[in-house]
Amino acid sequence: MPSLHETQALVSGALLRGESAQGVAALLRQTGSIAPERRLRVYRNNVFASLGSALEAVYPVTVRLLGAEFFRQLARGYIVKHPSHAGNLHAFGAQLPAYLRRQPSLAALPYLADVALLEWAGHEVYHEADEETLDADALARVPADAQARIRLHLQLASRFVASPFPVLAIWQANQAASADAVTPVSLDDGGVRVLVARRDFEVEFRVLGAAEDRFLRALAEGRSLAAALAAALAVDVTFDLGATLGRHLALGSFRAWSLAPIENDTP
Amino acid sequence: MSSPPASSLHRLPRPALALCAGIGLRAEHCTEFLASDPDVGFIEVHAENYFGRGGLPLHVLGRARRDHALSLHGVGLSIGSTDPLDDAHLQRLAELVERLQPAFISEHLCWTSHRGVHLNDLLPLPLTAEALAHVVRRVDAVQERLKRTILLENVSSYFEYTESTIPECEFLAAITRQTGCGLLLDVNNVYVSACNHGFDAAEYLARIPRDAVHELHLAGHVRRPCPGGEILIDSHSEPVCAEVWHLYANALRRFGAVPTLVEWDAELPPLHVLVGEARKADAMLAALERSPTFEVADALAA
Repeated sequence: MPSLHETQALVSGALLRGESAQGVAALLRQTGSIAPERRLRVYRNNVFASLGSALEAVYPVTVRLLGAEFFRQLARGYIVKHPSHAGNLHAFGAQLPAYLRRQPSLAALPYLADVALLEWAGHEVYHEADEETLDADALARVPADAQARIRLHLQLASRFVASPFPVLAIWQANQAASADAVTPVSLDDGGVRVLVARRDFEVEFRVLGAAEDRFLRALAEGRSLAAALAAALAVDVTFDLGATLGRHLALGSFRAWSLAPIENDTP
Repeated sequence: MSSPPASSLHRLPRPALALCAGIGLRAEHCTEFLASDPDVGFIEVHAENYFGRGGLPLHVLGRARRDHALSLHGVGLSIGSTDPLDDAHLQRLAELVERLQPAFISEHLCWTSHRGVHLNDLLPLPLTAEALAHVVRRVDAVQERLKRTILLENVSSYFEYTESTIPECEFLAAITRQTGCGLLLDVNNVYVSACNHGFDAAEYLARIPRDAVHELHLAGHVRRPCPGGEILIDSHSEPVCAEVWHLYANALRRFGAVPTLVEWDAELPPLHVLVGEARKADAMLAALERSPTFEVADALAA
């Protein structure tokens, strides 16, 4: 008689990877005239259906771009290669963009993985921690002699996505109710940089300029305002600090400020 | 094999909730639920759906919790797995319990993971002395960690192991006796498993200790034809069928007026349809109060 551990090893291998279904069937009681293999298959279907549904819920636009049936086939391969490692599904599906990027059959859709990245960022942001929003008044109270050392902290519910393809336009076009209503997007429109963030619990995609993107990423890395400004100016000498700060204070992109240690002050 | 010591934790008082049936609250129904505020006895959610750090789901559940008693129903702790209990999972569950103060915390008599890989399905255990001792240790550990008694639910199953030696009803009775945990008896699951394995559902109920059942579940299933017969699948995609209402009446006559919850998880109907199913359970609970030997037809006609 196999131990509980051995039984679970055999059954989980059969369900996830289709291993030794006959060996597992030998562990199962024959009731009525339904073959044990048939009963095992109910569970195998359940496993792939429930994990596949979880992926479809996170990646609706990717599903739409690929078609439900093709996505389901890809999802089966993904589930075997990158199964869930937790009893909750919040982190399940994180490697799908990279997985899509590696599929030779998807070479004709070079933007697809980046669309999936945008969807994953939205999923993470949706479930992120709730934080206060930093307003301009609070920032105005920072002593003038400390302003160069200010570090602005982005909301925890923030992710950066950058792509050489117009993935946000693709995403937006695929929010239409029917495929017929989708506005065509030209890949020649070029790339996009997005801050995926949240307002009133709704996920929001904020399009960023190249210098603005560099500036916010520098802040997100914990660099001081002065250092972030220098990084942004290195991208674009016309970068407008006041307008950028004003925009993101109004959008609620920041949660708090702190002061960088003096020794780290050099840009 | 010696039995672990019985838990020192107190048994749950019964009934802990108003005698009005509850509904499983799913994300798709949340907005309408908050807006229409239907009169239901309590709400039940899958704990793991609220393991995110924040955002709309936790916010909405917090609002719903203000006006409704809550049952926190786990689907992913993998109590029956031989993997170590997942500390991070228990930690998150404990935080939710602290935040939401649920009336009930429940999990399933099943395993869902092996060597850290989670299959996201409620898999049946071989019902052996080894598995019983294992589950008893795990339930003890979970209750110690949460400082609460939990309810353990019977699952639907589609196969049985040849090595199983203990009928499921006796397995559950032994767990509740040895750990002090309560039972969440899913009437639909009893019916589904009884049909799939050819045991007598009424006999199963009769062998569950009267005072162990703290919550009842109702749900719909589908019948899937396959070579050699048909397999009933616990799909939660249908209304509760007539046979399960009869078994529910049988359960009420045996266990008394136990808080009852209707689940619907796939092909969700409009909220009022789900609430309507809970109303039927209310009618049965009311009929039980009028007569301990009530008939289903009379209850639903009233």
